[in-house]
Amino acid sequence: MAWLWPKRKSQPKREAGPVLAARGLSRNFRVGASDVQALRAVNLDVQAGDFVAVVGPSGSGKSTLLHLLGLIDSPSRGEVRLQGEATGQLSEEARAKRRLSTVGFIFQTFNLLYSLTTRENVEIVLQLAGIPKGERRKRAEALLRAVGLGDRLQHRPASLSGGERQRVAIARAIANQPAVLLADEPTGNLDSKTGEEVVALLEELNAGGQTVVMVTHNTALARRAKRVFAMRDGELHEVTEEPT
Amino acid sequence: MLLSVVSGNLLSKKLRTLLTVAGFGVCVNLHIVVTTVMRFISEDLDMQMQRFTGRLVIQSRSAAGTTGIEWPPISSSIPLEVVERVLASDRVQHSESTAVSFAVLAPPPFATAPPEALVVGLEIGREDAFLAGAPAMLGTNRLPTGSSAAEHEPAPVILGVLAARYLAAQASATTEVKSPIGPIALAAPGSDLEIRGTPFRVVGIIAPETNQLLRSCVVMPLESARALLGQTETVSAAIVTPRRTQDIAELEAELEASHPALMVISDKQLTASARQLLDRTQQFFRVVRWTAVVVAALLITVVMFVAVLERTKELGTLRAIGAPGSAITGMILAEALLVALAGSALGVPISRFVITKALGPDAAAIRSRRIEAQSVGLLTLLGLVAAILPAARALRVDPIVALRYE
Repeated sequence: MAWLWPKRKSQPKREAGPVLAARGLSRNFRVGASDVQALRAVNLDVQAGDFVAVVGPSGSGKSTLLHLLGLIDSPSRGEVRLQGEATGQLSEEARAKRRLSTVGFIFQTFNLLYSLTTRENVEIVLQLAGIPKGERRKRAEALLRAVGLGDRLQHRPASLSGGERQRVAIARAIANQPAVLLADEPTGNLDSKTGEEVVALLEELNAGGQTVVMVTHNTALARRAKRVFAMRDGELHEVTEEPT
Repeated sequence: MLLSVVSGNLLSKKLRTLLTVAGFGVCVNLHIVVTTVMRFISEDLDMQMQRFTGRLVIQSRSAAGTTGIEWPPISSSIPLEVVERVLASDRVQHSESTAVSFAVLAPPPFATAPPEALVVGLEIGREDAFLAGAPAMLGTNRLPTGSSAAEHEPAPVILGVLAARYLAAQASATTEVKSPIGPIALAAPGSDLEIRGTPFRVVGIIAPETNQLLRSCVVMPLESARALLGQTETVSAAIVTPRRTQDIAELEAELEASHPALMVISDKQLTASARQLLDRTQQFFRVVRWTAVVVAALLITVVMFVAVLERTKELGTLRAIGAPGSAITGMILAEALLVALAGSALGVPISRFVITKALGPDAAAIRSRRIEAQSVGLLTLLGLVAAILPAARALRVDPIVALRYE
């Protein structure tokens, strides 16, 4: 789907190496009187064009890892490098700017804005990025057509099915041409057929060059990724054999 | 788009939005009405006092007010022969000095205002002592000479516009004049009417652009007023103008010395006393006005806080997808601004209606676009300031918590 957006006038300078890297990433949470270690010294390199799946049971730390990789949470120890840039010292506003320009999020519960139309839900990230009105409208419509929602532009999310909502969320996530697309249980709220369609869409995006990191508890879906990692008790291991 | 989010949020909670807008509108209305009335009373008082510049008022000692000065001196009563002696002095400008009788015909439209219709008995030919050259809108501003002596003829009256409206129902003929609240019927010059069972004939209507006291006056010959009020040997007061302006202090001292039982009030004392009374009234009005401001600000703060708490998921999502703090703050402030502007759009017409209903033909004189703009500006600004705390709270929404929010 690279044809969906024009070439940027000046591509950001990207250092050679992983587009996204985690180094010794740990995250502790205070629960009552005790400290719970959700992540333990996680290391991960995601190369441009990768499709990485992280599998693991509920509470294993998958979502925590994704939040740290997407800069919406800060690690207790360790560091996230995004396009070679260390992010540990960035201010909250700078992190928001990186999230807007470099990271695309897909959430299990879609997290669309229910007061906006389908097209406006996609347009909003383009507006935040400062894209002029005419161009963002054109781009939002093209993206929604590409995910099969060309006839739902003026619909509100409440009138869409779960699969359609997730496709709107995908269109929104890729609208600003992010370096990496982070998907948190993207099929968790969908039936198997619709979930299959959503993963197919992610595969299609990846085939077009989009880097994708997906966390899921569904091992069957995880097998569709190029690399699979297993998360257990806050530790991450690459699965070289077929995950169970 | 962000504005769409804001308007969408407002529309999704229609009843709450409506109640907030209505509440803010009431505060705007209250602020405008109170400010307008405050300004009206103050300006009207200035205009009244201007007409008494260079004059002395002689009245009986009164317990009214802390300073003992009652204006107009309705409860005052002094012997006519004392007044006649005072007015006979060579130091007095006779054409602008007169014995005067006051009585209330209709109560005031609001506290601190003069009565809606006030009998003012003046010596014929000396009307300027009270009217101070106020022009007639219809007919004449002079009581016809010899009219009081003519038997079987109704005595003449000159009416202020409020009194003419009040007496229109009992006049033999009315005339319609344009006013800011639409055409109003006035007792027509030449028409006959009865006041407390005594027939009178209207000879003129005083122009309304004067002051509240003149708008409500029913000026009649002193003799007719005394007869009407049962003042056989007394009058209410005397208005005295010195022949030379610079003699006013000397004349005041002389009158005080020769008539220790009476109060001789200079224009300055009258102004100071009226100002003192006005200040107390204005103090009350200021409390009402600031209450409206505080209530409006609190309303916005509370409603916006609730809105932020309700929209944790939405705000967290926006933060997660990279919305900068300025966009989040801007959304909350824009929402507060919309509520404030909608409230103002409601409050301004309500205030116009209230002022027109309460003050009738005076409404145009006192309604001010400047006051409306100032009130709307002040309350809107405070509405925005009041939304800063909720906006700061919105900025602190943790996207992770919001993403877990079901």
